[in-house]
Amino acid sequence: MRPRRSLLGWMLVAPATIGVACFLILPVLLALGVSFFDWDLLGTRDFVGLENYRSLLADGALLNSLLVTAVFTLLSVPLSLALGLILATQLVRALPGSAVVRVIVVIPWVCAPLALGVVWTWIFQPSTGALNTLLGIRVEWLTDPTLALPAVAFVAIWQNVGYISLFFQAGLGRIPDSIYEAARLDGAGPFQTLRHMTIPLLRPTTFFLAITQVVASFQVFDMVYALTGGGPRHRTEVIASLVYHEAFQNSHLGRASAVAVILFLLLVVITVVQQRWFSSRITYDMS
Amino acid sequence: MKKNLARRALGHGATYLVLLAAALLTLAPFTVSVLTSLTSPRQLAQQGPLHLPAPPTLESFSTLLSSVDGFVTPVAVTVQMVAVILVGQIVFSVLAAYAFAHLRFPGRDLLFWVFVATLMVPQVVVVVPLYLMLSEAGLRNTFWALVLPFVLGSPYAIFLLRENFRQMPSELMDAMRIDGAGTLRLLWNLVVPLNRPIIVTLVLITVVTHWNSFMWPMVITSGPEWRTITVATSALQSQYSSNWTLVMAGTTLAMLPLMLLMIVFQKQITRSVGGTGLR
Repeated sequence: MRPRRSLLGWMLVAPATIGVACFLILPVLLALGVSFFDWDLLGTRDFVGLENYRSLLADGALLNSLLVTAVFTLLSVPLSLALGLILATQLVRALPGSAVVRVIVVIPWVCAPLALGVVWTWIFQPSTGALNTLLGIRVEWLTDPTLALPAVAFVAIWQNVGYISLFFQAGLGRIPDSIYEAARLDGAGPFQTLRHMTIPLLRPTTFFLAITQVVASFQVFDMVYALTGGGPRHRTEVIASLVYHEAFQNSHLGRASAVAVILFLLLVVITVVQQRWFSSRITYDMS
Repeated sequence: MKKNLARRALGHGATYLVLLAAALLTLAPFTVSVLTSLTSPRQLAQQGPLHLPAPPTLESFSTLLSSVDGFVTPVAVTVQMVAVILVGQIVFSVLAAYAFAHLRFPGRDLLFWVFVATLMVPQVVVVVPLYLMLSEAGLRNTFWALVLPFVLGSPYAIFLLRENFRQMPSELMDAMRIDGAGTLRLLWNLVVPLNRPIIVTLVLITVVTHWNSFMWPMVITSGPEWRTITVATSALQSQYSSNWTLVMAGTTLAMLPLMLLMIVFQKQITRSVGGTGLR
């Protein structure tokens, strides 16, 4: 009986294991290998050791992308979390009509970031777009080197707030009303309640969202591709855009792989550090 | 008492202000997309983007659906791609998750740990090596290249399903086993029906993820033959960058099916996402 059960277990996990081995683990190892080669799309391949890493550092492309991605993350993640929380506190009051709003605000999350990026490109057009026409101004939102990255971050925030608010709504729903009742009897105002009770009690939700949103924003690609393509002057060239440009436009697969390897290591570090940082702070058990 | 009432009215007013602002800001870009797509190019050139289409015209949509490099092929390709990936992912993920949750076999825990570790691998990291592998296999610009990397199951789905399967009492399954039911029948008649909510959630997530996926289809396909709908939308933007009525017809077509799906399954989506911690 026992060997048969083992065989059955292995048979059931076999397809998924083959998939993970061939299409996740092998590619990661291959990326590491290719990063040591001068490798182009036509098939030329020469071993160059760490040359790809050295040249990426020397010409500033890597540092630029890391900086752009970091700024994008710092602009978009804290703001979308804060706005998502505010929206959630209003939605959970469950006033008549709020059920409709709850559905509306999640719509952008099911839409392709690529398509949304194209729509916002049209809205942002300097002379014919809806935004400038509405405001009666002529601002180059996506081609001005200082405005482009904030504009991209704005669209990312716009897409994510409703989705983030879903998690906060669920988190708020788990806080018992009796705690609020007690606070009210003790004379706590709404802002004191928010600061000293709601936000600390939501820490597990915030922790989860912070990690997943930071990790996601380090991988952003589609939306940037549609909005700016990485320009102007590489000011919005996030890490994923750099990988794409190096590989499929400049035909430097080795350099692209080196960027990918660094991104992967960075994400592992970010996840571990965030895990440490959040778990070292007090969490409240509400079960 | 009166003061209390006034304060409550004020509170409700503030809430409605926030909700109204959120709803309007969310809907505005979609409204622009739909209105522009229904406007004639001539009217758009004369009156700008903020006028209602007068009269509304389906010209852009019919151009898009009738031309050779139009949207009919990409829609068909995307539907097939999503269908194949969906069936494969759900079937193979259910099989693996059941084995991880309820069967004992050597290497199980180590293997599961490896699966969880691969959750950290981002698409951007594997896109170049996957391109090399599938090109080497002669699969560039084929349907198989679109589905092969995803069809054998996803670590994420397996992880979520395993958590849910573990909560099922094993007595129930033992009782069925004594009745002589095979594993596949057990899965189909007991495990799947008992875990319907999480499976529905996974179906929705899979459809949304792969309908919207862009980087991989763009990289591995070339030309109009195996283009997905996102790749076609992007191509439209770069080819007809000044013909915004046509481009907005494209984005509207790309987004509409999932918006409808969202409205139909709103309860499942809003409830499950907040509850299970998805994506």
